[in-house]
Amino acid sequence: MSDIGWKLVDWSVAGEGTLWLALTLLAYLGARWLQGKAKGNPLANPVLIAAAPLIALLVFTHTSYAEYSHGGWVLLWLLGPATVGLAVPLYLNFVEVKSALVPMIVALVVGSVTAVLSAVLIGYALGADIETIRSLAPKSVTTPIAMGIAKEIGGIPALTAAFVIITGGVGAICGSALFNLAGVTDRRARGFAMGVAAHGMGTARAFQVSLQAGTFSGVAMALNGIATALLLPLLWLLFAG
Amino acid sequence: MTARGFLLYALSFLLLVACNLAGGFIAAALHLPVPGTVLGILILLVGLAAYGRVPQPIRRMAEFLLYHLNLFYIPAGVGVMAYAALVRQDLLPIVAALIGGTCLALVAGALAFHWTAKLTGNAPDDRP
Repeated sequence: MSDIGWKLVDWSVAGEGTLWLALTLLAYLGARWLQGKAKGNPLANPVLIAAAPLIALLVFTHTSYAEYSHGGWVLLWLLGPATVGLAVPLYLNFVEVKSALVPMIVALVVGSVTAVLSAVLIGYALGADIETIRSLAPKSVTTPIAMGIAKEIGGIPALTAAFVIITGGVGAICGSALFNLAGVTDRRARGFAMGVAAHGMGTARAFQVSLQAGTFSGVAMALNGIATALLLPLLWLLFAG
Repeated sequence: MTARGFLLYALSFLLLVACNLAGGFIAAALHLPVPGTVLGILILLVGLAAYGRVPQPIRRMAEFLLYHLNLFYIPAGVGVMAYAALVRQDLLPIVAALIGGTCLALVAGALAFHWTAKLTGNAPDDRP
C-alpha cells in the first residue's frame, strides 16, 4: 500500500513542530538583528533574547515544552554535528594551540575543577536537593556532553540542559568585564577561560571578539567536555559514592 | 551556488553527522564513559591530519555551523521554562551556584592560563 507511510506520520504533530521550528529561527534572526543594533554588547545575548519571547508565546498559547520539542529537537540534534565541526579550527590552528600546551593544561584543570566544585559547594551550602546538585555539577560543559554526564551521575539531564544555558548566558555576559577586572589581557587566556566556564555560548561570544580568542575557546570547550566526562563520575564516586 | 557546489556542501554536512554518529556508536559499543560527540571531534581531527589539509567545503560548512552555534542552544533555553516549577524550592541555591560558580570558573581559568604563560615565557602575540 502506497499510503501507509503517509498514515504513519502524525501530520498535525509534524505541522505544529515545523511551526515552532520556524518561529525559533525567526526569534534567532531577530535576536541577531538586536545584537547588531546593540553593537555586540554582551548583554544582548542571542540565546536569552530569542528564548524569552518563545517562552512567553508558549505560555500565552498554553503550549507545553513537549509540544514545542516536536520542532525544537531538530536544532538540539544539530548541536552534535556543529560541535564536531570544532575539529576544523582545532586542526587549522594546531601549531599555535600546541605552542601554548602547558598554560592550556593548567587552565583546563583549574577551570574545570573550579566550575564543578564551586557549583556543587554553593548548591550544598545553600541547602539544595541532592538531585539538583547532581544536575548542577556538569553545567559548564556543552549541552550534549553535559546531559550524558548528568545521566551518568544520577542527575536530571533535561534540568542540566537548562542550567547549561543559564551558565552560558552568565559567561557570555560577564566574561569580558571579569577578565578586565582580573587584569588578564592575553586573548588566548580570555578565550580559553570562556570555553572552559561557558562552553559554546562563551565560544560564540569569543569568536565575536577575535578569531584567536574564539579558537582557544573552541579548543577549551572540546577539552573541558572530555575532561569533565572522564573526571566527574570518578570524583562523584570518591565524595558521594 | 552550482549543483556541484551544493552537493559538496551537503556531503560535508553528512561527514560531520557521520563523525558524530560514529563517535556515539564507538562509545556505546566499547562502553566508554566519553560522550559520542567528543569522539566525533577526535575522529574528524585524525581524518584531517591523515588527509593533510582541510577541503574548502568542509571548512566552510564547519565555520557556518560554528558561526550559528547559538541557534542550536535556543531549544534548551526555552526548556528552562519546563523546569521552572520543578526547581522553585531550590531557586536561591541554583541561581547562586550558576552565577557564582560560573564567575569563579571564568576568573580561575583566565588567571591560571595567564600566570602559567608568564612563568613558562609563553608571551601572547598581538594578532586580532
